Parts: sequence; C-alpha cells; structure tokens
Amino acid sequence: MSSKAIKTLGKFIKPGLFDKGTGALLPEAYKKFYKEWRLTEPTVVHYIPEEGRFKRDPVTGEVQRIQNHPIPLLFIKESNEQIWGGEQVIQGFQIRDWRRRRVPHFWWPHLKRSVVYSEVLNQHISVVVTNRTINLIHANYGFDHYVLKTPACDLKSLLPLTLKRKILQELQKGCPTYEDQPEKQKEIHNKYKQYLTAYTSEEIEWYGYSFTQACKKLEASIEAKNQPVPLKSVYRSELIEKLKEAKISASSEEVAVGNTSTWLKKINPFSKET
Amino acid sequence: MWKSLIRTITPLSKTTNCLLSAETSIQQQLRTTFILKRRINPPLSKKGGPPKKLRTRNYLYELVKDTNCDKQANIDLILTSYVDGLGNVGDRVSVKSYQAYDQLLLPGLAVYATPENLEKYKDVEVKDMKVYSSSTALGVMQVLSKITLSVVMNKDSPWTIQPWHISASFRKCCYMVPEYAISIPEKPIKGPNLDIEGKEFYITVTINKTEQFKVRCRIHHWSTNIRERLPYEEGFWKVPGELLFPEDEEIAKAQSQNK
Repeated sequence: MSSKAIKTLGKFIKPGLFDKGTGALLPEAYKKFYKEWRLTEPTVVHYIPEEGRFKRDPVTGEVQRIQNHPIPLLFIKESNEQIWGGEQVIQGFQIRDWRRRRVPHFWWPHLKRSVVYSEVLNQHISVVVTNRTINLIHANYGFDHYVLKTPACDLKSLLPLTLKRKILQELQKGCPTYEDQPEKQKEIHNKYKQYLTAYTSEEIEWYGYSFTQACKKLEASIEAKNQPVPLKSVYRSELIEKLKEAKISASSEEVAVGNTSTWLKKINPFSKET
Repeated sequence: MWKSLIRTITPLSKTTNCLLSAETSIQQQLRTTFILKRRINPPLSKKGGPPKKLRTRNYLYELVKDTNCDKQANIDLILTSYVDGLGNVGDRVSVKSYQAYDQLLLPGLAVYATPENLEKYKDVEVKDMKVYSSSTALGVMQVLSKITLSVVMNKDSPWTIQPWHISASFRKCCYMVPEYAISIPEKPIKGPNLDIEGKEFYITVTINKTEQFKVRCRIHHWSTNIRERLPYEEGFWKVPGELLFPEDEEIAKAQSQNK
C-alpha cells in the first residue's frame, strides 16, 4: 500500500467540482483554465507584502519570522461585466478617532466608464474600468498585450476572459477582420502570434468560461450529438420504404402476371370472356 | 508560510512564456488603488501548517496610500498625425497618462513609444508644419472662438459700433484685447434699434499681427433707467441667436463644427 493510501484510509474524501455530475465530464483543457483562474494566487494589489524570511525587532533585537497574511477580498458579481484590473472590494473596520468605537468600512475601487480598443478585433468597447486597468494597459503597450499577457487569476472577471478567448480565436483564424488590408493583417498577426504558442486549440475553445457556463456548453454539445429522433418519423420512413418495396414487387408481379397468366384468366370465374 | 509563498511564485514561473515580463507585474502592484495595512497582525502559524483563523481585530485596516490621489505619471508617445499644440507626425511626446489615453491613443492620433514603433516612425516625412507666433496663441484662439461675446449698448442715446465697444465688452469678460487687434464688420451697425436685439455678428481678432480668427458677438440693449430696461431673459446664452448679416452663415457653420 502506498503512503498516500494509508493516509486517506478510512477518511471520507469530499467529491470536488470535477468529481461529480457534468463537472466530471469536462475536458482537461477546461480544468487547466480553471486552475489558472481560481487556484492560482493572484498578484498582490491591496497591500505591500513583506520581503525576506526573518526580521529583527528594532527595539529589542528579537528575531521574528515573516508571514504574509493576505487581506481577504470580496468578489462583486457585477464586476464580471467590467474590467477592474485585479482590484476588489475590501470589507473591514476603520478607527476614525481614538475615542470612538471601530467603524465598519468598505474600500471600493474608483470606477469610471471608458473605452478600450482591441487591435486584433478592431473594435472599441465601452466598459467600466479603474485607473489601475488603464495603467496596466499603458504598461503593456495596449489592451491586447495586457489581456494576452496577464494570467486568468489577475484578469479575474469574466468579461476580459471572454475577450481574451475571442482575441485568441481571431488570431487562430489569422485576423479575418482585416481581410481588406492584407498588409496590416499580416503585421498584426505577426505582432500577436507569439501568444498562441502557450495554448492548444482545444484550450482556446474552453478558455474563459465560468464553471456553470462550461457545464452548459458541454451539455449543449452532448445534446446536439444525441438528438432524439421522434418515432413517428422513423415509422413513417419505414413505411415509405416498405411501400416502395411493395410497389416495385407488385409491378414486377403484374408484369409477370400479364405475361404468363393465360391459364389463370381461364380459371377466373368473374372474367367476362368465360 | 513558505507554502503560500511558493504557491504564489510557482504559477508565475511556470507560465513565463505567456507572462513575458515578470518584473513589470511587481512594479505595477505599487501604483494601484487603496493600499491598506493591518493594525494588528494575526499570530504566526506553524511552519507548513494552515494559517491561523482571522479574528475581528485582524480586520482593522489603516490606509497606507490611495494611489488615485497621486500625481499622474507621464507616458511617452509617438504622434501619428498632427496634433494642435503638441507636435507633428513622428514626434515623440510625453503626456499625462489618462489625458493621453482619452485624447490621443483612443482616437488613434498617437501610438506607444515601443522600440518597434520608434523604428517604424524614425523617418517620416513632415508635412504642413504649423508654427504659431507664441506658445499661448493657439490656446487663446481656441478659447475666444468658443465664447459668445455680449456687446451691451445703450437703449436711449444713438451709437454706431466701434472697436472700442468690442474691446470694452472683452474687458468685461476679463480678456484684454487692444483696439488695433479688432476689426469690425464693414457694414455699420447702428442703434438703438430693438430689431437687432439679441442678433449675432462676427468680428475678426488678430493675435500678434499674424493669426486671425472670428469671435461671435451678440447685441444687447441696456438702459440706465430701470423702468426702460428690457426684461431679463433666463438663460439667454443658451438660446441660439439669429444672424445680423445673412452672409455670415458660412462662418457660423464652420465655428459650430469646430466646437
């Protein structure tokens, strides 16, 4: 028995997202994206982490370990339709005056409506952004570079992830939006094609879906594959086939009868000739 | 603790090919939004063990920095077309970042000064160079061609509009425009005449005897006697006025497009 098996002996392991239901059927490509999105630690935004392993107390000279406890963040559902650039809402307390009790406070990012321009899609998109998003776009020299370079855990919300998938799909097709200008098409494709190397085509297809969206997509594809055929159409086609066969055989019989039925006609009691 | 640190570092190192520059992300984190600090840190957890449960006092935060209040950083751009007051095609300019994003990058008047773009716009032919007589000339032109100047004239005694009337009207709005810089329309405008009340005409202002531009003026009648005064019209500047001379229509059209 392996050591892992001994450790888990007699323990009930709770089934995870990908162990039950439709989740178990999801392809490996989606699991890879999910890992990049949800199970990776994002870049630190709201606090300054201490560096090094140990620190010395300035007064007593006592040596202490350094441990960074990340500040818990709230994910806002509405941010899925916006691009916050890794910022989130912080819930906590403030002490505004030493004579007062602590006061609950929410630190919200400053949101503003602006426009982002995607060069690959050749589209201006009106979105709600933060100043950090614009700074990041500047630092990466453009929205496409920013979206393509940044891992899913930092993009966080579904809108930039969806845009990333669309941009990757567009790059895969070779930028069909610039079909009228072949030179520019080539230039833009060369500029961004380096990002395609990190993904296979299946990974691109499954990139940027939430878990429920991915399940729905899979279910829809399964349903499309196993479309039930109504029995009435089956029976109808069978009947038509049968009729066709019968007709052919009947006509052939008739022909046969017409040729060789001289003695049968004689037997027929209702025929006028007899 | 190390486990959590390794968790943060490993995904970044694994995805290096898709994260082309790892060091930029570390610089970026510091110029963001609210940066907070805990007042009371949670106790140290055991090496390799799970982190200690946070208590209410661990949710007490102090603001270290709000980067939205910081001074905007300048970014380097290369102009792809002529921009008033900035430069011509191929010029490398340094502009405030949000202003640059809204006014230059999104309309497509400039591109980022990346090494590739620097190479691309190294030798671009410069056409239609515009040189102004002073650095503030363009700003003055832009401001004055947008305003509607109220020329307030007497309702009782006769007058004909002279440049000094216009100069005085400018002075009322805190613009010092000398008389020799103003040229009024050739047709004399005489009054008092209540038919021309609220009608508009255009004058020409010359800056430093070089740049010429049109300023819209509107005539108002005013009397020293309170009884004689015309009733005050609420928001009269929002109501578009009629033209005094119908031949000014082209100028009016051109100005409304520039707005």
